[in-house]
Amino acid sequence: MQNFLAIMLQQAPNPTLQPLYAGNTSIWHHMSDALHASIYRVLSLLISILPGILSLMIALAVFTLIGMALSALLRRGLTAARFDDRLIRNRGNVDWAPSTSPTALIARVSFWACVLLGLLIGVSAFDASYATVATLPISFLPYLTHGVSAVLLLIAGTLIARFLARTVLIGAVNAQLQYARFLSLGVKWLVVVLTWAMVLDHLHMGGNVVELAFGILFGGIVLTLALAVGLGSRDLVSRSLESHAERSGEHRPASPHSPTAGPDDTIRHF
Amino acid sequence: MATVDPISEVSTSSARLGPGLMVLLAAMPPERLKGALDNLTAAFPAEGLLIASPDTLPQDTYPSLRIVSVPASNAWTLTAADFVHAYQLAEKNEARVILMLGPGSLVPSSSELRDLANAVLTGSTDLAVPFYDLPPHAALVNSAILYPLTRALFASRVRFPLAVDLGLSLRMAERLAGAAQHFTSNNQGATPLWPINEAAVAGFAIDQFGFGPHIQSQPTGPDLNTIFPLVTEALFSDIDAKAAFWQRFRPLPPVRNSMPMPQAPFSEAAAEIVSMHQAFKLAYTNLQEIWSLVLPPNSLLGLMRLAATDAAAFRMSDKLWARIVYDFLLAYRLRTINRGHLLGSLIPLYLAWVASHINLAASGTHPEDHIEAVAAAFEADKPYLVSRWRWPDRFNP
Repeated sequence: MQNFLAIMLQQAPNPTLQPLYAGNTSIWHHMSDALHASIYRVLSLLISILPGILSLMIALAVFTLIGMALSALLRRGLTAARFDDRLIRNRGNVDWAPSTSPTALIARVSFWACVLLGLLIGVSAFDASYATVATLPISFLPYLTHGVSAVLLLIAGTLIARFLARTVLIGAVNAQLQYARFLSLGVKWLVVVLTWAMVLDHLHMGGNVVELAFGILFGGIVLTLALAVGLGSRDLVSRSLESHAERSGEHRPASPHSPTAGPDDTIRHF
Repeated sequence: MATVDPISEVSTSSARLGPGLMVLLAAMPPERLKGALDNLTAAFPAEGLLIASPDTLPQDTYPSLRIVSVPASNAWTLTAADFVHAYQLAEKNEARVILMLGPGSLVPSSSELRDLANAVLTGSTDLAVPFYDLPPHAALVNSAILYPLTRALFASRVRFPLAVDLGLSLRMAERLAGAAQHFTSNNQGATPLWPINEAAVAGFAIDQFGFGPHIQSQPTGPDLNTIFPLVTEALFSDIDAKAAFWQRFRPLPPVRNSMPMPQAPFSEAAAEIVSMHQAFKLAYTNLQEIWSLVLPPNSLLGLMRLAATDAAAFRMSDKLWARIVYDFLLAYRLRTINRGHLLGSLIPLYLAWVASHINLAASGTHPEDHIEAVAAAFEADKPYLVSRWRWPDRFNP
């Protein structure tokens, strides 16, 4: 803008009228210069971080290959040494599933450890190259690690939510609660909401809005569940008390050799 | 067998072999303890009968008995820790035969005690197991799962694989203590052990003897939802560990001793049937997602039809039940879902079987006939289990 004004001021003393298109040419010329400069800057930035990207990819590829080789070596070596058999012999009744035998587990862990190491080295190299050329004093690595840990948090939260939802569902069905699915869904959404709030907080997104929304949602779900359980579990409590009373009655000392010590028509599971 | 030896013969045999016998008693109330000691002294009048009990015994009343103290166990059945204690005591006191009398509401009579002990003392068998005369509505987990699975996989006709009274030879006790050691060293001493499976794998002789009317002790604290997964997990885990044994075909041994059939009339249990039927229908509405991970479509279709049936006409076919148990066993092995979830979701299906069993019995079928039919269905479907155990990913409609 300043350039534009300066040009206008320079042109002002000229008494002769200039054609209108000459000024437009100057504006277009300057805009073009600005665009060219911008493109040049972005391209030069990309060119300067290209080695970083390449080093990230190469590190990942090399360590993945190393991981595959190490995994294959370990698998072959442990199989030859009959590692699984020895472990079962030493530990007794070890209930390994076929797909998760100790050998397979060790091979898999070694592979993924190599991949993770390659990723860390690659990201570190990329971060170093990016930080030296970037005009803004930001580092890519902290944000990336926050992103990765947020994804891990999300995965863990989802798994925990599913596990707890199933546990509650099966427990509630076995307790013959009619609202078993509702209870299970409530628990699942409690954990999911908590997880998302933690993820957003971890990524520094949303600020107070997230906290407020989380508080409202969490409180709402807890209140709904409390009302549902409180109103609906009267039968369960009475059944539990009845069965406890029956069991206490059954375990009173019975006279030995008396075949009528317990009622014959009572269902006894054991 | 239920054969009663002439008293004179038994007395002579006991007198000759008495010092080699050790009796391990579970913790019991004083009245029952007195009854047990009376029966034991009547069955084995010889001097030096070794009694191991967690309770304080009146030595003056029974001067002929040698008494040692053992740690008390609060379990409702015989556990791994009990077998370890039994073997250690037997070895220490040079006993050749161990008689274990577990927790129960009734004490075996002197003739029943003699039958159990003498079978082992004479060397004809390594494991003597009682055949309880229980009421028709009792020991239903045993009838639905434990007995059919043990019979189909380990080729044993023992009707009560989780019996609380046992006669053991020293080598049988040693074998059981070895198996139990794994659990006790992992602080899981309360895990039930499976003597029939151990004896079958070791090639030891097993025999069962008829007991009179009996009332099995029930778990006092936790309910079915807690105990059922514990018992089934213990059995499934044992079956998993012994897969190399049971995958081979073994014919069922012929019936050596015909057991008396319980003659108790079956009374109506309508209220409980309705309750169990409702429990199954509720589970069918809510647990389909979990069952579909474990059961093949054919079984799910069978359950769908079952869920549409009225309580009065509720019948689960023996084949469907056998297939369900086998599929749960396979899912346990493959860890298809969390094992706690898996066994928890089997409870409503078991209740459905119980409802069907009671319905059948109420309609005139003798409960023992139905239980034998269920066991036969498990035997007939064993090739399915073996096939899917070996090739779990094979197409399964």
